[in-house]
Amino acid sequence: MAQTEKYVLNMGPQHPSTHGVLQVQVELDGENIVGAKPVMGYLHRGIEKLMESRTYVQCVPFTDRLDYVSAMNNNLGFCMAVEKLAGIEVPERAEYIRVICAELNRIASHHVFIGSLTNDLGSATGMIYAFRDREKILDLFNIICGARMTAHYIRIGGVAADAQDEFLRDTQKFIDYVPEMLDEYNKLFSGNEIFQARMKKTSIITKEMALKFGMSGPNIRASGVDYDIRKIDKYGAYGKFDFDVPLGKRGDNWDRYMIRMKEIAESAKIIQQALDNMPEGPYMAKVPKVLRPPKGDAYHRVENTRGELGFYIVSDGSTKPYRVHIRRPSFVNLQALDTMCKGMLLADAVTAFATIDPLMGEVDC
Amino acid sequence: MWGKGLITGMKVTWGHWFGKKETVYYPEEKLPMTERFRGGHLAFDEEKCIGCKLCAISCPNAALDLTVSVDENKKRHMESYVHRIGRCMYCDLCIEACPTKAITWDKNYEFASYFKEDMTYDALVEARNRRGNNE
Repeated sequence: MAQTEKYVLNMGPQHPSTHGVLQVQVELDGENIVGAKPVMGYLHRGIEKLMESRTYVQCVPFTDRLDYVSAMNNNLGFCMAVEKLAGIEVPERAEYIRVICAELNRIASHHVFIGSLTNDLGSATGMIYAFRDREKILDLFNIICGARMTAHYIRIGGVAADAQDEFLRDTQKFIDYVPEMLDEYNKLFSGNEIFQARMKKTSIITKEMALKFGMSGPNIRASGVDYDIRKIDKYGAYGKFDFDVPLGKRGDNWDRYMIRMKEIAESAKIIQQALDNMPEGPYMAKVPKVLRPPKGDAYHRVENTRGELGFYIVSDGSTKPYRVHIRRPSFVNLQALDTMCKGMLLADAVTAFATIDPLMGEVDC
Repeated sequence: MWGKGLITGMKVTWGHWFGKKETVYYPEEKLPMTERFRGGHLAFDEEKCIGCKLCAISCPNAALDLTVSVDENKKRHMESYVHRIGRCMYCDLCIEACPTKAITWDKNYEFASYFKEDMTYDALVEARNRRGNNE
């Protein structure tokens, strides 16, 4: 007589030389998933602890290594938290440059999402298209700060260097190209019947579930919760720009994909407004060479590409932070993986994992 | 009609048979590095350096190991300027800290090595070699 039993499959990649190392222990009943347990810690570097032994200025390059595909947003979060703590006023031009860079980085990060999603669904071609366009943004970063991914461009009190005309001109060129780019993606992926069949009505997260899990970013907006910190807190120069927050209805994989496609268009809209109204003036505030914020603590959150990124800094009045805690959106969002995978087929686990869009540098910190 | 989306997608990919190439033939063809590019070894200028060690102090990972000597006129001289690439984050803080702009990036990104020892070099020795070759 045939005997059946559940078994556990370890999904990788788990080799230490790969960059995003996450192990998912998938419990299977035939091809149906009974449970999925993420095992993390492979990429843990102790960034929070490292920051305690560095000065505030020296901490900034470490934030690049958290969510390494949207480094500008991480820089922004940390610098704004320190500015809040030390009471530093940032010049207006710097605020605008920061918004341009953060939004460009959001688009680049969504390119990685689209690329890795299509690759995971079996279309390697899709990845090449997304990465071709991401390259255009990385080239822009190379012009403005000399690095492609680990930017370290946004600094405490402003930005490292002024935006050159070349950068602004090339950014405008890219923004003009965005509608054409999205049209091509829609033709290539969104209209594809196989793509739609794999994405629609799979791994649904309802509004209630998303709130219970404490999810944020495009993942919670796909479930229909209007939660965008750029709109709620209006930090930096975001209050001056007009943009919409796209929302999903069902909270399935398809909605999580479409939200990001719409967000690319919205980010382009913000950048266009920032380029049109770019003020003149200094790009850096007067920050003391030896920065000693007063005793106390500060929490600042920004809308990272993946959700709510928060920095909690405690100062003891010395040149180094007493304690830094980082609220990482990928880590919190990853909790939903088990619920998303239950009752799905094994192949859907890959899709669910790709649409949560976790970045292991941020999960493990 | 089922399959219409697939055909539209195929048209996009076929269209690229006739487009401009997006890639270059590395290493025959190389992309130019930008003015602010951070990467490569540190190009050290012995004449500009005043031996203040601000670069080493500003480094978050202690990647710079400097030896400075003081002569009888109390003038500081650099004896060695060791840069450990394995520790370097290319954050640019050392270069920004330098009051006399004595260090810059040499922008040569082709320095991958097989051995760990090759990841440590003396920028002062490299600068002297470069000057010797030029003279």
